[in-house]
Amino acid sequence: MNGRTLALIAVTVVCVGGAASYVAIAALTADGTTSDARPKVTVSSESELASDARLLVRAVDHGNPRLNGRLFETELEAGSEPRQVGDMACERVHLNARGDGICLAADARGLGYHAVTFGPGYRRGDRFAIPGVPDRARVSADGRYAAFTAFLSGHTYSAAGAIQFTVHTGIVDMRSGEQVLELDELEITRDGEPFDRDDVNLWGVTFAGGDRFFATLGVAGRHYLLDGDFGERSARIVREGVECPSLSPDGRRIAYKRRIGDQNRWRLHVLDLRTGEDVALAERRSIDDQPEWLDDRYVVYSNDRSVFAVEADGSGRPERVMARASSPVAVR
Amino acid sequence: MYQAESSGTLLRTKAATARGRGMRVSRNVVVLGTVSLLTDVASEMVAAILPIYVVFALGGSPLQYGMVDGIYQGATAILRLVGGFIADRRRRYKEVATVGYGISAACKAALVAFGSSISALGAIVLVDRAGKGVRTAPRDALIALSSAPQALATAFGVHRAMDTAGAMLGPLVAFGLLLLAPARFDAIFVVSTCFAVLGLAVLVLLADGRPDRDRPQTASERATPQERPSLREAAALLGRRRFRTLTLAAGVLAATTISDGFVYLGLQRTLDVPLTAFPLLFVGSAAAFMVLAVPAGRLADRVGRQRVFLGGHLLLVVVYLTLLLPAGGLPVLVLALVALGGYYAATDGVLQAIASSFLPDRLRASGLALLVTATSIAKLASSVVFGLLWTVTSLDAATMAFGAALLVALAFAIWTLRRTPELAT
Repeated sequence: MNGRTLALIAVTVVCVGGAASYVAIAALTADGTTSDARPKVTVSSESELASDARLLVRAVDHGNPRLNGRLFETELEAGSEPRQVGDMACERVHLNARGDGICLAADARGLGYHAVTFGPGYRRGDRFAIPGVPDRARVSADGRYAAFTAFLSGHTYSAAGAIQFTVHTGIVDMRSGEQVLELDELEITRDGEPFDRDDVNLWGVTFAGGDRFFATLGVAGRHYLLDGDFGERSARIVREGVECPSLSPDGRRIAYKRRIGDQNRWRLHVLDLRTGEDVALAERRSIDDQPEWLDDRYVVYSNDRSVFAVEADGSGRPERVMARASSPVAVR
Repeated sequence: MYQAESSGTLLRTKAATARGRGMRVSRNVVVLGTVSLLTDVASEMVAAILPIYVVFALGGSPLQYGMVDGIYQGATAILRLVGGFIADRRRRYKEVATVGYGISAACKAALVAFGSSISALGAIVLVDRAGKGVRTAPRDALIALSSAPQALATAFGVHRAMDTAGAMLGPLVAFGLLLLAPARFDAIFVVSTCFAVLGLAVLVLLADGRPDRDRPQTASERATPQERPSLREAAALLGRRRFRTLTLAAGVLAATTISDGFVYLGLQRTLDVPLTAFPLLFVGSAAAFMVLAVPAGRLADRVGRQRVFLGGHLLLVVVYLTLLLPAGGLPVLVLALVALGGYYAATDGVLQAIASSFLPDRLRASGLALLVTATSIAKLASSVVFGLLWTVTSLDAATMAFGAALLVALAFAIWTLRRTPELAT
C-alpha cells in the first residue's frame, strides 16, 4: 500500500466519520431542542394600532421543529402573551371570522406538502396533498371555499436550463375537501376578447363573496388583476401591475404588491376599486407577501421573520408588531 | 510513487493495445469518473433542497432563487474558456481541474458557515458555478489524453455515466438525510462538503496529470517543440476547417434543441402528468442517460462517432413528436424520457470524443472549451427563442417550428460534415 492510498483512506475516514457523527448528533437532537423562541408581541405602548385587534400567526423558529409553524393567537397590545392554539404546524395559514381555516404544511418528514382544513376551535377537518411548496392561502367569508397556491419547481439539468417556477392554484370545497377548480381551467377574457394563452401562471386568490374572487395572472413577465367567478369558471383581466390582491373588510379596496423594475422587488399598494385611486404604502422595503387587512385602517404582512403593520392610506410608517412570526391573519 | 507510476503505465499500455471487443477504459478515466460522481453527489444534494431551504429556512421567495440560478450562466462560459486555455498554456490539466474542484468544495464548506444569509447564498452559488466552469475543459482533456484513440467515445461514455449516477444519487442522499434529521439543512451542507472533499482527494491523490508523458511526439509537436500555445493560436482554432465545421454543425444543432425544462413542462401539459410526479421526469431521463452512455460510446467507437452523434438527434426528433401527440399516456411518456436520455448519451460525451480525436494535444482543452461554449450559447439562445415562440403562439406551434428547424439543421450538419473529408468517417 503506497502513501497516496494511505492518504486517501485517512481523508475518507476523517471525512465520513466527521459527517456521520454530525448527522447522528443532528438526528438525536432534532426533537430535543430546548429553545423557547415563541412569537413575541413587539408593538410599542404608544402605538395607535387599534387595541382590540387580534392576530393569528405561525411561529418562526427553524432551530426548533417542535415550535416552528405552531399557531398562536394574541391581542396586539404591548405586553400581551401569545397563546398557542390547536396542534397544527403550518407554513401558511388563513381563517375567516367564523373560525373556518386552512393550514398549508410540509409533511412530517419534509418530503411533500399537504393542506388541512379546520373549523372553529382549530378542530382539524380534511387533509389533502398539495403539489408543491406552500405560498398563499385564503378562506371565503362564508367558510364554503378555500384557495391555496403552491410553487412547483423545475430542474436545472441542461447547460442552458435555468430553473423555472410554475405555480398551482386550486379552489377547494371546504365541506368535501375536493378541489372544485384549478385556476388554469378558467376561461379568461381581456376587453371582451378571449385571452387564450398556454404560459400563464395564476396565484394569490382573495374571495369577494359568493363565487366571486380576485387573483393574479402572470404572463411573460407581466402581471394582471383578475376579476373572476369560479361558479362560471370565467375571469376577466381588470388592470395591470397587481400581484397578490387582498380585499378589504369593507370590500372597497384591494391591498396588493406591485413589482418595481425587472427585479423581484415589490412595493405594497392599496387600490380603491370605485375611484381607481392607487396609493403606495409607507413601507419602503420590498415585501413579498399577500397582505392582510387588520381592520379598515391597517394592513399587516410578514417580512424577515417578523410581522409588520402599516396604514392603508399611505400615511404613517411601518411598525413591527410581532417578532419570530409570519403569515398574520386578523381574528375578528 | 514508483508503484503508482508503473502500474499506471501498465494499464495505459493495456488500454493502448486494446482492440475491438476489448475497448477498455484506462484507470485514469475511472478515477476522473469517480471524482465527478462524488462531486455531483455533493452539488446535486444541495441543488435538490435549495428551493425548500430558501423558502422555509430563509423566508425568501422561490423566485429569488430562480433568479440567482438563471443570471450567472454567462460567467461560467467565460471561465470555461479561461480554464481551458490556462490548462493548455501551462500543460497543467490536473492542476487547473484541481483548482475548479477545490473552489466548489470550498463553496460547500462556505454553505455550512454562511448559508443562513440569503445574499451570501447567492454569492456562494455563483462561485460554485465558476468552479464548475474552470474544471470542465481540463478534465475532458485529461480523459482524452488518458484514452486510446480508438476508445475515446467509450471513455467519455464511462465518465458521463458515472457523472449522471452522482447527479441521481445526490437528491436521494439529501432526502434520506431529511428523513434522519428533519429540517436540519446544516447536516446536508456538512455531508455535501464531505462528498466534495472526497472527490477532491481522489483527484489529487489518484489522478495522473500527465498520462501522455511517454507517448511519442507527433510530427507537428516536434515542429514546434516546448512552445506554449498563445491566445492567438487558441483563437485560430476556429479558423481550422475541421474544428470550425464541427463547431458550426454542433452549434446549429444545439440552437434547434428544446431545453430540458421546456420538454418536461411540455410533457407535463400534453400527457397530463400529475404535478406531484414532475421531479420523476428528470429522474427518468437521467436514468436513461446513465444506462445508455457507455453503450452509445462503444457504438460510436465501432460504427463512427459522427453517425452516432447525428443519430442521437433523431432521438430528439422522437422527443418532439411525443410533445405533439394529442394523447398518449404512460407508454408515450416512457418513450419520451428514454429518447431524451438516449439523445444525451449519443451526443454529450460523443461530441467531446469527436473533437478530441483531431484537436492538437497542445490546444485540446482550449478547443473543448470553445466547442462547449459555442453549443451552450446556442442552447441558451434556443431557450429564449422557444420561450418567446411558446408565449406568442402555442406549445404545439413552437414545437413544430423547432422540429422543422432541427431537421434542416440535421441535413446541414450531415452535408457540411461529409464535405470535410477528415470528418467523414
